Amino acid sequence: MNVSDELRSYWKPLSESVLAIMIGALVGAVVLWLSGYDAVAAYRALLQGSFGSMGNMAETLSKSTPLILTAITFAIGARTGLFNIGAEGAVYFGAIAAVAATQTLQDPVSGILSGLFVGALWMLPAAVLKVYRGVHEVISTIMLNWIAFFIASWLALSALANPQNQNSTVPIPPGARLPLLVQNSTLSLAFVISVIAAIIVYVVMWHTKLGYELRTSGQNPRAAEYGGINPRIAMVWSFLIGGMTAGLAGAVQVMGIPPSYSISQGLANVYGYGFDGIGVSLVGRNHPLGIIFAGILFGALNAGATQMQQTGVPLEMVKVIEGIIIVAVAVPGLLDLFTKLFRRGGP
Amino acid sequence: MEKETPLLEMRDIVKVYPDGTKALKGVDIQVYTGEILGLLGENGAGKTTLMKILFGMLKPTKGTILLNGKETSFKSPADALASGIGMVHQHFTLVEVFNALENIILGREGHGLLSRINVDNARKKLQSLMDELNFQVPLDVPVENLPVGIQQRIEILKMLYRDIDLLILDEPTAVLTPIEVKELFAVLKKLKSQGKTIIFISHKLNEVMEITDRVTVIRRGKVIGTVQTKDATPQLLARMMVGRDVVLRIEKPPKEPGEAILHVEDLWVKGDRGEDAVRGISFDVRAGEIFGIAGVEGNGQSELIEAITGLRKVEKGKIQVGDMDVTGKNPRDLYEIGIAHIPEDRTHMGLILEMTVMENAILGMHWWKEFSRAGVLMNWKQVENHTKLLVEEFDINSPGARAPVKSLSGGNQQKLIVAREVSKKPELIVAAQPTRGVDVASTEYIRNYLVKLRNEGKAVLLVSADLDEVLQLSDRMAIMYEGQFMGVVDPTKVTEEQIGLMMGGVKA
Repeated sequence: MNVSDELRSYWKPLSESVLAIMIGALVGAVVLWLSGYDAVAAYRALLQGSFGSMGNMAETLSKSTPLILTAITFAIGARTGLFNIGAEGAVYFGAIAAVAATQTLQDPVSGILSGLFVGALWMLPAAVLKVYRGVHEVISTIMLNWIAFFIASWLALSALANPQNQNSTVPIPPGARLPLLVQNSTLSLAFVISVIAAIIVYVVMWHTKLGYELRTSGQNPRAAEYGGINPRIAMVWSFLIGGMTAGLAGAVQVMGIPPSYSISQGLANVYGYGFDGIGVSLVGRNHPLGIIFAGILFGALNAGATQMQQTGVPLEMVKVIEGIIIVAVAVPGLLDLFTKLFRRGGP
Repeated sequence: MEKETPLLEMRDIVKVYPDGTKALKGVDIQVYTGEILGLLGENGAGKTTLMKILFGMLKPTKGTILLNGKETSFKSPADALASGIGMVHQHFTLVEVFNALENIILGREGHGLLSRINVDNARKKLQSLMDELNFQVPLDVPVENLPVGIQQRIEILKMLYRDIDLLILDEPTAVLTPIEVKELFAVLKKLKSQGKTIIFISHKLNEVMEITDRVTVIRRGKVIGTVQTKDATPQLLARMMVGRDVVLRIEKPPKEPGEAILHVEDLWVKGDRGEDAVRGISFDVRAGEIFGIAGVEGNGQSELIEAITGLRKVEKGKIQVGDMDVTGKNPRDLYEIGIAHIPEDRTHMGLILEMTVMENAILGMHWWKEFSRAGVLMNWKQVENHTKLLVEEFDINSPGARAPVKSLSGGNQQKLIVAREVSKKPELIVAAQPTRGVDVASTEYIRNYLVKLRNEGKAVLLVSADLDEVLQLSDRMAIMYEGQFMGVVDPTKVTEEQIGLMMGGVKA
């Protein structure tokens, strides 16, 4: 009943994820080889592009930032018994809110807070539909994502349109931008914020009464009710906290990425993170601390992809590897299977 | 009898689970053709593990199985069935929306996806099987609409339809009413007279005494001994099973009850299907008494309990604790007022199986100040200390406060629930099926504890399908039938016949 017991409880999920990553890399290599590419050269380029230099490492961490935050949205949902895939919409609105708020308030705190607030607000409809009408969150969030996309696109083109540049919204004013951690890179304070957010969520989920109630509701709603917990209220909290981190992802994505510091046409620079976050969360075993590492891994794959492309391998190959890793993680008891095979020396 | 080759022999069976738990430490058993062998042991003794190995559901770590003297091994239940071994599990494996006929022929008739199933033939074969056994089940009703006792018969028929010689029954009476148990025993005797062999797994002494020819007692993964039932006494078996004399009688000093703690007046509650499950019940539970509610399960007891503990809506009527009207209050308020609830469903309501022992030890009191730091963070250190105290006081066999609660045996899980509820310092304890599926030693402990709470002046509302339990523990008892009390009686004065009549719906 000490720290080592707690560490031991992390050992299995950790080794399972590492195994899945290895399988992803291996199968990816086979696919590369079958497609007639030089797998070794491609992987070398991938590694070089993600960790080869200070600049590349900065790029990796920068790309991991929004993924960590949207993964947490999914993880909180999963821990509360929800399959919340609404991060995507909250990301758009977080970005919109940050751009809008900073125009008048001119400081980064206002951008962050409005991202958090509007992200949470956007999850409310899904929460209300779930709690009062029993609408399944997969249905509601996926539809709300589209509603968010078009409302955000419209706002970007109208109220927030940039008169000087048709391809983006008005930029975040210089005074409200997040400082860069490495010069001439896109790595800003945003990464630190995402790690702090992950740690805060960890503390909330495992070291507060609210977290206890959320996890209890997720594992066994009947036991929760019996224990004096209202699982419906727990669900609302889960949506709201998840919306906050997703909204934060959108906000820091525009406040921390030079040179544009704005939302690009078609929401291109804030698009897709909500969905990529699901995979990151699964590889991070729906645990905020695991998600930090999984986010960095996926950030590295995305950052290194450009360099890999120079060896002739298409960019999409990275998505293939990511997909294989996620599938390998999703196979339950994969590690059990392997250890059994090794012990018995055959099936 | 000992000279002949056993129908089945298991030799030196060892099972070590991947987490290192030694469930079986070298078990030998023999079963002879045409006998009923009792396999007796507490929960967690290894009975079910042993039978799962026999039925091909688990692989033994070590050991051999001999069928008719020939070494064999089963890789799957299908293998075991093909060799004439069938098993009826504690939890049934029926397709609920199928009728009996469909369930029984499932996987048996019609090989190949498109082959025709000759239903008429199957029906004839099944009917003659039932006639032979004098053992009827309705073949055309979806099994979800049938009582548990009938569902169990369907499970047995399913096995017999597959021409098995050896039938394994895992705790078959756990879910049955006393009358259904009698009927089951009649069927088992009939099967025996037809030359079938039966392994009867149980932890109920009187049932083993009644139905078996020989008894093999298992304790903590080892065979303690095998005796002829006619030479055995319940006391002997109890001693073998738990390794010490179990007091089967509960010591209960007389006590004058105090004021009413719980007052229920004309209570109406609806069931899940919208039916009136509780129909106008009124009663009091007084300080220092155990008020028992007996009756065949499904007569509104669960709904009554859920209404009193705030988990189900009250349609009409009033519930009072002390002088306070608590009708419609939620569980949390009720805990604060001084109610504790030992729920009937341990795994789905009483515990969160995926969480740790200590996380489970504070469910329903997790908001207490003593478990928080600065009112915000959980004080896990304090929770752990609290858990350790409970584990010590209630003698719970637990690998540690931070171990998952599912690693505890059923009896220890139940003790943890009782410990937790008692630590809420309640005035009223609502105990629903407090010893269901719990081993003898834990059962005794829990029963004595309820009596102790009564002696300390607490009010105890006990609902149990175990008639003996209600009779032994209660100061007053009611028999519930179709949502009403058939009578409130003194358990020391009531006769078995009177109870039987009331359980069958005749008012006293």
